[in-house]
Amino acid sequence: MRHHYSSNSIRKFACRLIAAAMLLALSPISRLRAADDRAFPFPYVQEDLPNGLRLVTIPTDSQNLVSIYVVVQTGSRNEVEPGKTGFAHLFEHMMFRGTELYPPQKYDAVLTKAGAASNAFTTDDFTAFYTTFSKEDLSQILAMEADRFQNLDYAPEVFKTETGAVLGEFNKDSADPSFKLEEVLADTAFDNSTYKHTTMGFRKDVEDMPNQFDYSRQFFDRYYRPEYATIVVAGAVDPKVVRPLVDKYWGNWKRGSYQAAIPQEHAQNGPRENHVDWPGPTLPLVTIAYHGPAYSDTDKSWAALDALSTLAFSDTSDLYEKLVIREQRVDPLAADFAPHFDPGLFVISARVKHPEDIQYVRDQILATVKQYQTDLVPSQRLANVLAHERYGFALSLNNSQSVAVTAARFIALRRSPDTINKLFALYATLTPDDIRTAARKYLTDDERTIVTLTGKGGAQ
Amino acid sequence: MKPLLIVLSFFIATSAVAQSKTVALPTSSSLVNVRIVFRTGAAMDPADKPGLANLTAAMLARGGTRDLTYKQIVDQMFPMAASVGAQVDQEMTTFHGSTHVDNLEAYYKLLRAMLLEPGWREDDFKRVKDEATNALLVGLRGNNDEELGKEMLYADLYAGTPYGHNGLGTHAGIEKITLDDLKAFYRQHYTQSNLIIGLAGGYPAASPDRVKKDFAALPEKDSSPTLAVNPAPIDHNRVEIVEKTSDSVAMSLGFPIDVKRGDPDYPALLVAQSYLGPHRLSSGRLFQRIREIRGLNYGDYAYIEYFPRGMFLFEPQPNLARRSQIFQIWIRPVPPDAASFTLRLAMFELNHFVTDGIPASDFEAAKEFAIKYVNVLTKTKDAELGYAIDSAFYGIPDYGTYIGTQVSKLTHDEVNAAIRKHLRADRLQIVAVGSNADTLKKQLTGEDPTTIHYNSAKAGDILEEDKVVEKWDLKLRPQDVEIVPVDKVLE
Repeated sequence: MRHHYSSNSIRKFACRLIAAAMLLALSPISRLRAADDRAFPFPYVQEDLPNGLRLVTIPTDSQNLVSIYVVVQTGSRNEVEPGKTGFAHLFEHMMFRGTELYPPQKYDAVLTKAGAASNAFTTDDFTAFYTTFSKEDLSQILAMEADRFQNLDYAPEVFKTETGAVLGEFNKDSADPSFKLEEVLADTAFDNSTYKHTTMGFRKDVEDMPNQFDYSRQFFDRYYRPEYATIVVAGAVDPKVVRPLVDKYWGNWKRGSYQAAIPQEHAQNGPRENHVDWPGPTLPLVTIAYHGPAYSDTDKSWAALDALSTLAFSDTSDLYEKLVIREQRVDPLAADFAPHFDPGLFVISARVKHPEDIQYVRDQILATVKQYQTDLVPSQRLANVLAHERYGFALSLNNSQSVAVTAARFIALRRSPDTINKLFALYATLTPDDIRTAARKYLTDDERTIVTLTGKGGAQ
Repeated sequence: MKPLLIVLSFFIATSAVAQSKTVALPTSSSLVNVRIVFRTGAAMDPADKPGLANLTAAMLARGGTRDLTYKQIVDQMFPMAASVGAQVDQEMTTFHGSTHVDNLEAYYKLLRAMLLEPGWREDDFKRVKDEATNALLVGLRGNNDEELGKEMLYADLYAGTPYGHNGLGTHAGIEKITLDDLKAFYRQHYTQSNLIIGLAGGYPAASPDRVKKDFAALPEKDSSPTLAVNPAPIDHNRVEIVEKTSDSVAMSLGFPIDVKRGDPDYPALLVAQSYLGPHRLSSGRLFQRIREIRGLNYGDYAYIEYFPRGMFLFEPQPNLARRSQIFQIWIRPVPPDAASFTLRLAMFELNHFVTDGIPASDFEAAKEFAIKYVNVLTKTKDAELGYAIDSAFYGIPDYGTYIGTQVSKLTHDEVNAAIRKHLRADRLQIVAVGSNADTLKKQLTGEDPTTIHYNSAKAGDILEEDKVVEKWDLKLRPQDVEIVPVDKVLE
């Protein structure tokens, strides 16, 4: 099962999955049925083991499929030591390198017999490992997963080989101009936060990974501990059956003591700019970012800015219709405000068809931001966007694996699916004034960073 | 929870008058999945207008209705987060979408108008025609070497049959098609006799009848003659190299098989596929030997059914049912200097497989994978509905029950006998997409061994095996290898 992907690919689609909203009173379409009022409608059971491990069991209407996600609340955010960026992602890879009881071949053989789909990914805030399989294999899969989280064992040569694969992944990503842009944007916009580096890490650190075997063991020892982990079991399961199995296989996992001192970002106090000269031919990219608030299910700011990203920059927005459809100067245009544990970036990006339009497109985006600070969005438009997000979210929960991954993403932020319902309740209260207030507070010139990228010869 | 529920609630109703079929999977979910399938497709394209079936479906799914413009439809669907997708294959044309039950009424009204009262506007036609041309020339021919290789494999194997062109059509075919052609295709093939109505989820009990009644507005019968798909036999290994500028070489190889779902040997060949390895199965034989041990590419897989868009999907999509299928090996792109060695390795593995079958030690795992993986394939209600519709097409019970009962009965000898009977390591069509076609041709037809150089140390037994592989006789004469410039294909 060596098909990992890191935050860069994840982030691009994750934001739409997670972005969601509701506004029942204003909705032009019929009200949600009373029984379905909760955005996360599944009756889940949340339990804590004495060692600090959390278990969330979510029975769904699946007849025979189970999806397990193990969420470790450790991502590139936790990489606080100089020279050690990229280790959360490296560790995602190492977790497939086997134990004494289950060497990689045996591990794969069990998954084959279980007809399972399995993979893992790393983001800024967490790492997740998943397996989706038939219900009769529940005990075996839980035992095997428990084994690797407690008894991972790899030799220095194996470690070196895997760091080569990680460097290969870094190189593959680096062939993509948007990855380079993301890297430069993070480095330019942040000073203290660990969001200054991408989940892949700084190149020099990735290149030095082969020499860091001892540190890798230390990383495992610090973070692969029950108090950092939550197991999500969704599908054709009975919580009463799952709990004893988790007690049996995971109960002896020893609690750790490490807590990283993660630095907080200070106010930016002035606009910043940067530029990337891409060595090959490519279309120009314009990215405009603002420091936004951290994810919250109690304060409206994050939800309001998330709604704003769809209102102002999605494919039904006025700006999209102007730049992409009518004038055909840009393709695509999008904004992304992914939920983060610490304050993250609200990012608007556009690919420009002709280099001479870069300044124009940039001005148009800035004018749109200004407009949302000045005008109130029509309430019908807000209602439509929130209904779209709300129904899109409901439609995404269409199988046990997507139920599990959605729960996992929110568990990474608040360690409980409960935050989903709180967030949606918050969305339901959003008003046009909330949108304008958030735009005025966060989308300011002082907190802005603009990064552009142009290719050799300036065009394709 | 209640494994029998699916079987009991799964039913196919056939009306004596209208002949449309209904596949219904009711649940208590608040979501509803709709699949409206017409048993028609690219195989019914007129000989001089390949692409007509695809454009007709695109016009319905991405065009206006008699009363609404396309923009109005998109705006009405936006608050519901809904849309109508279209998929056109040789024998099936599928319109599919999902909605929250709150919006079912509004969504269904739009869907019904789109399929039963198309607007046939010129500006929509121009747009969907541009989209189809770009999908063919930019999306497939320009930017997707793997998919191009797979599609050329099908085109070569089915040349001269109704499957002889890609579902998107050809450049010249699309150019030639008029709006009147679309209307005529719609009248001829969008009939009740070709229709399968699929509904799943928490829809009201009356919905299936209501849909059936509404769609009775379609003409009753399709008067087209029955489709005959008889691929010509292959008498010798042959290669098509599609030459284009590329940093790597994508390869596919295969041959038609006389086995589809419902045929006696389908379950056995599915076990064979499970052993060789479908997409993403890292313990598959091909993946292990080519990627895991030798690191030649990103993955290598085998299929006994059509699997388009594989590089974007973990699992095949439903509603691609066909009366004729091929066996194929999909070799993901390799560096040019490793292309001929990798092809020899795949042929070496195939030969080994056909001769010896599945090793006894791996047989049970392959069987179990085949049975249980159905649960992953049908993990969404929408996929389950699609598989149920395919089962109606093939005349088999629901897919999970069919595979579960049939595969569990199979013995090791039976599976190996089916492998020997239907699979082979000669008389293959091979397609390679990449640059330096002349060099590749020389390597494939010449007698010099094509040695491989690794960037890390390999075990002794692998190096020994490589000595056999590098000289593996592909049985190719110069006249068996055809080089075609990329701008000549799909024209």
